[in-house]
Amino acid sequence: MRLVLTAEQRELRAVFAELFARQCPTSLVRDLKRPESDGFPPQLWTALAAAGALGLPFGQEYGGQGAGLFELGLFFTEAGAALCPTVVYTTLLYGLAVDRLGTPRHRDAYLPALCAGELVASVAAWNPSDAGDLRPRLRATRDGDGWRIGGTLDFVANAERADVVLVTATEETPTGPGRVLGFVVRPGGPGWSAERLRTIAGDKQSRVRLVDCRVDDDAVLAGPDGRGLDPADLGWVAEAAVALQCAEMVGGTAAVLDRTVEYVRTRHQFDRPIGSFQAVQHHVANMRIALDGARLAAYSALWWLGRGERATRRVAVAKMHCSEAYKWATLTCHQLQGGMGYVRETDLHLWSERAKVTELQGGTADVAARWLEREIGLVG
Amino acid sequence: MDFQLDAEQAAWRDEVRAFLAENVTEELRREMAVHHLDKPDGEVEAFRRKVGQRGWFGLNWPVEYGGLGLSAVHQHILATEFEYAGAPPLDLTVTSVAPMIIRYGTPQNKAEFLPPIARGELRVAVGYSEPDAGTDLASLRTRADLDGDTWVINGSKIWNSAAQRATHEWLCVRTDQQAPKHRGISVIMVPIDTPGIEIRPIITWSGYRTNEVFFTDVRVPVTNLIGEVNKGWQYITGALDLERGALTNVGDLRRAVDDLIALADRPLADGTRPADDPVLRRQLAQLDADVEVAALMGLEAASLLDSGTIPTVQVSVEKVFSSELRQRIADLGTRMAGLAGALSRDSPGAVAHGRFEQLYRAAPLLRFGAGTNEVLRDVIAQRGHGLPRGGR
Ligand SMILES: Cc1cc2nc3c(=O)[nH]c(=O)nc-3n(C[C@H](O)[C@H](O)[C@H](O)COP(=O)(O)OP(=O)(O)OC[C@H]3O[C@@H](n4cnc5c(N)ncnc54)[C@H](O)[C@@H]3O)c2cc1C
Repeated sequence: MRLVLTAEQRELRAVFAELFARQCPTSLVRDLKRPESDGFPPQLWTALAAAGALGLPFGQEYGGQGAGLFELGLFFTEAGAALCPTVVYTTLLYGLAVDRLGTPRHRDAYLPALCAGELVASVAAWNPSDAGDLRPRLRATRDGDGWRIGGTLDFVANAERADVVLVTATEETPTGPGRVLGFVVRPGGPGWSAERLRTIAGDKQSRVRLVDCRVDDDAVLAGPDGRGLDPADLGWVAEAAVALQCAEMVGGTAAVLDRTVEYVRTRHQFDRPIGSFQAVQHHVANMRIALDGARLAAYSALWWLGRGERATRRVAVAKMHCSEAYKWATLTCHQLQGGMGYVRETDLHLWSERAKVTELQGGTADVAARWLEREIGLVG
Repeated sequence: MDFQLDAEQAAWRDEVRAFLAENVTEELRREMAVHHLDKPDGEVEAFRRKVGQRGWFGLNWPVEYGGLGLSAVHQHILATEFEYAGAPPLDLTVTSVAPMIIRYGTPQNKAEFLPPIARGELRVAVGYSEPDAGTDLASLRTRADLDGDTWVINGSKIWNSAAQRATHEWLCVRTDQQAPKHRGISVIMVPIDTPGIEIRPIITWSGYRTNEVFFTDVRVPVTNLIGEVNKGWQYITGALDLERGALTNVGDLRRAVDDLIALADRPLADGTRPADDPVLRRQLAQLDADVEVAALMGLEAASLLDSGTIPTVQVSVEKVFSSELRQRIADLGTRMAGLAGALSRDSPGAVAHGRFEQLYRAAPLLRFGAGTNEVLRDVIAQRGHGLPRGGR
């Protein structure tokens, strides 16, 4: 038990902070937000691949760095501070999912390309509004030496730009629903149609309809011994996704707090910095308290997940704290920066928008509280 | 970072648990429930002697001062287990006064005071607050004047908790009337049986006894002054940081929420369970999540202490968060069973032996005590984020 970052962990953070400071200015974030953008940042992408970030948690045999989930969380924190485009997150998540759910053949097929920055990917394998709900929305039927899948996915992030999307479907058998299987779907192929959604943050989300979409056997993840995906494994992936997003939110919270502290230090009213007023200081202190709680909760969840097992209780605590900390930090910062924080030109709203999306994605604090209620024996 | 107890820490926790299982008896609990804790030779004293025999009062002091040389994380584990079990907590003598003597005391201070503290024989009352020096502590007026090799003390202290069972006063006095107010303060150890000290009880809302203490020409040797003269402000702010750190281990809160969760499962008169109500479940889940976070804050502060800094900002964060959480726990605890939540321990029909009614009255203290949360929020903003000092 030692809740301080090691020197190497601090160093890792510093390296990524520096990379994002150079490669991910808010001008990029604004550009990608525009409806005509596909959400993909070529230059940042190349830099991340070169720095090994896209292979951070994957084995060296695939060209990865072999770091742990906790270290990946540190990366997400710096990414969150800089409002990194979500395609980086969804691609890494795809890699984690294949690594956990796939066979060695799947890993060989996807991870080297992913580590090298040659694969853009996404995952849609749980309820986007409740990551504790792993029931597939799609159905799959056997078709010769492959599968046909069908159904609608309400939210698929970066669906348009992705080369591959991992989805889950329930196998239909003559005797009713069968195994839960994972499928690597190629967007834009036959049977795929996608409709762009417009989110508050301008991140790229689509509603995807699949009609008799063909998937070959080698792109099917059938779990250990082919008996279907193990809920413990799929649950681990979903929880890792939530915990990593929590780390992202921690970075975002810290970033808005820092920006705002800088503002209240320099903005003067009544011949003194507004940051000398106690009401202002107490807002700052409240954000700091919430940030510390969110940070510790997120890192605890990541650390426990990093041992390879589900950590539902800790993930729930983290999501409850991070969702609220980030959102309220942005709203409080709008208050402390007054009119100047409210105009588009000063960028604060970019974090506020991301805070809202991340609050909802995977489940709000209320949804996460339901996970926790089960964990502590209040229901069922 | 490492979020799991290592083997040695886990063994330590088990050792503490085994000790508590054996020594936290029904008689001890009964005596503690009476609050005043001023029975000179009762169960609490016997328990403390056993803790002292094990060297646990000095567990994180250096070995050269009679300590066990263990870490702040060890102390945190012990304090958490003690609170979870409802055992008499380590008091401020151990958690905040002794470390300041170790850090700043003269060789004679150390030789004279540390060994009896380690044995649990020397216990202080902390004499900071005065009627006109609360949050603005540095305006304290109790004075000490040098007369040859003796300090002569005059003035009064209020909220002087535990004076009725202390052996010494850890007394904050003004030793330079001309200096700016933070630079004329010293700390002196005053044996409580020195002539000229009068103790008057004050009973608080929770039933807890504190005191007003008057000092009239109280004479102590010059060597009882801790460290250097007029450096006292530094010592007491350091001691207060440690006091906050120690106060905010959340063993008692973890226990309270565990008890609430169990209570929520117990059928009410009409056959329903409190936990059937989704609103209540949501509120309980929030308290559970918040206690987990408060525990992490405490462990982070202990880890930072072990790396050699007094983490002023972190303990302030933790103190504000956990003290406000304590009030929310007490509030929900009194709301879970309808009007029966208003019943006190000695009433027929009391819920959970009246402990949430009791906690409701006890919880306000930690929000304003040991540095009010308002001032600590200033500290967080100023020390943690570089904002300028305002009105204070
Ligand atoms: C049961 C009990 C036990 C105690 N034990 C001890 C003890 O053992 N030793 C000891 O020395 N003291 C002890 N205290 C004293 C305790 O630390 C003080 O009560 C506390 O520091 C607050 O001081 P005060 O009561 O004078 O309140 P005040 O200083 O009058 O404060 C009242 C309110 O005004 C607010 N306020 C004051 N100044 C500011 C400011 N600048 N900005 C914003 N708000 C401000 C405070 O935050 C608070 O909310 C104890 C008190 C109690 C009730």
